[in-house]
Parts: sequence; structure tokens; C-alpha cells
Amino acid sequence: MKKNVIIVVLAVIFFTSLGAVINRTLWARGGQVDGVRITVEGKIVYEIDFLTDSLPKTLEIQGKNGIESTVVVEDGRVHVAHANCPDQICVNQGWIVDSAMPIVCLPGEIIIEMIGGDANGLDTATG
Amino acid sequence: MALTPPRDSLKRLCSCALLTAIALTIFMVEAQIPLPIAIPGIKLGLSNIITVYAVFVLSPREGGMILFARVFLGAVFSGQMSTLLYSGGGGLLSIFVLILLSKLLSKQELWLASPIAAFFHNLGQLCVAALVMQTPVVFAYLPYLTVAAVVSGLFTGLCVQYVVGRLPEI
Repeated sequence: MKKNVIIVVLAVIFFTSLGAVINRTLWARGGQVDGVRITVEGKIVYEIDFLTDSLPKTLEIQGKNGIESTVVVEDGRVHVAHANCPDQICVNQGWIVDSAMPIVCLPGEIIIEMIGGDANGLDTATG
Repeated sequence: MALTPPRDSLKRLCSCALLTAIALTIFMVEAQIPLPIAIPGIKLGLSNIITVYAVFVLSPREGGMILFARVFLGAVFSGQMSTLLYSGGGGLLSIFVLILLSKLLSKQELWLASPIAAFFHNLGQLCVAALVMQTPVVFAYLPYLTVAAVVSGLFTGLCVQYVVGRLPEI
């Protein structure tokens, strides 16, 4: 009896999240993005506007714990081209084009996210 | 506990040490397998087969000790001490939930405990990340991580179920 309750709760959590993932991925792609914001240790270090800034742009980011990364911003998309860390998660993440999944470097405390339009950070989830 | 005969406590110590070694080995082998999904935080978490097994078969206290020994040694051996805070935060929340579930679920239902604990592990990790980075942006990962947690948690959960069914009491 309690087993069934847990299965139901688990299924609800799973399908809600699956729905959120599908919704975010599809919806955010349709949303307008204006630029890229790069935050290191809670402070904004770069804010690039796709309309006014000259692109493509290559940025050298100095993160915490000696982490350095090279970020390339093109019109409407951004990726980490190089990072001096062992796990390379941010590099493997590739280009991001929407705010559905920001690039987050935990050891370096670096956040690269899309801003502007209707798709801004967490608001995408509720949209 | 103080009145436990020495032979029994020695046996317990040995099982704990053995399980920690097995968990650490699984953890290190798994770290060498590249995953095709480029989402940070997603992994199979095979070493939690041992954690769930220990909590249900030995005792919650020993399960917790095995988990934290493995988390700490795993960070040392993989050379990524900076991840210790995140895996520690996730581990703390998930072991708490797991111990709660071990009181609720029978040994035939323990495969259900794993996906729930996996979900809380991710939640704990994201909470630590949000505190460290001082931004809720990291919670954008939660739906992705939850889908992964349920799938990988069910897999490890079923593994534990088969292990418990086949391995005699230690």
C-alpha cells in the first residue's frame, strides 16, 4: 500500500520534471535573447549585448581556485572554448543558445547565462 | 551498543571497511567512464548501491559512515577537493532521507529508496551551489537532474534489490 504511494509520488516527480525539461527546451528556444552575462563569485564581470557589441568576442575569465577559461561569444550563442580544469564539463557543454541551461563552473564560481527578452534566468521555468 | 561483544564489533568494523573499499573502487572506476550527456552533475552513482545496501542491511549509522568515508576519500583520490562541499551537502541530505526511508520501507521495497535519495542528493547539491554562488540560477538544472536521478536511481535501486536477495546476511 505505502509502496504504491511512493511509486505514484515518484512518477509525479518524474513526469513533472520531464514536462519541465521539454517545456523549457522548446519554449526557451522560441524566446528572444539579448545578450550574455558572465558572473564570477557573485559579481557581474561581463555583460554583452548581441545588438550593440562587436561580435564575435573572445573573453578571458579568471575564476576562483586559479581557474581560467576562454569564453567565445557569437551572435546569439556562447560557449567555453578552453578551460584549465580537469573535468572540462563547461567545455563539453558546447554552445548554449537559450537560458534553459546556463553554463555553470562550480569550482571556479563562474556562471555564463543568456539574458534579456522573455527568457531570463529562472523565469523561463514558470513561463 | 557499549555492551556489544568485541568479536561482533570487530566483524562490523571489517564489514564497514570492506564496503567502503568496494564503494570507493566503484566510484573511481565510474569516474573513468565518460558519459555522453554534457550536463554537469549527471552520473550513474553506482557506488550508492553500497550506501543503500549498508543503510538497509547493516544500520543507518554505519551506512552514513561508509557514505562520508567514500565521499571524502573519493575527493582525495580523484584530486578534486573543491567538489567535496557539493557532494558533502548532497550526501548529507540524501543519507537523512535514506535513513528515514529505511524505517518506512521493507527489504522487498528498498529499490524505491534509491531514486528518492538520488533526487534529494541533487537537491542538496544545488542548494549548496546556490549558497556558494549566491544565485538561484543553478536551480535551472533541477528538472534535468531530477529526470536523470529517477532513471539512474531506479537502476542502482534494482541493483541493490538483487544484491540483497542473493547475498547472505553479513
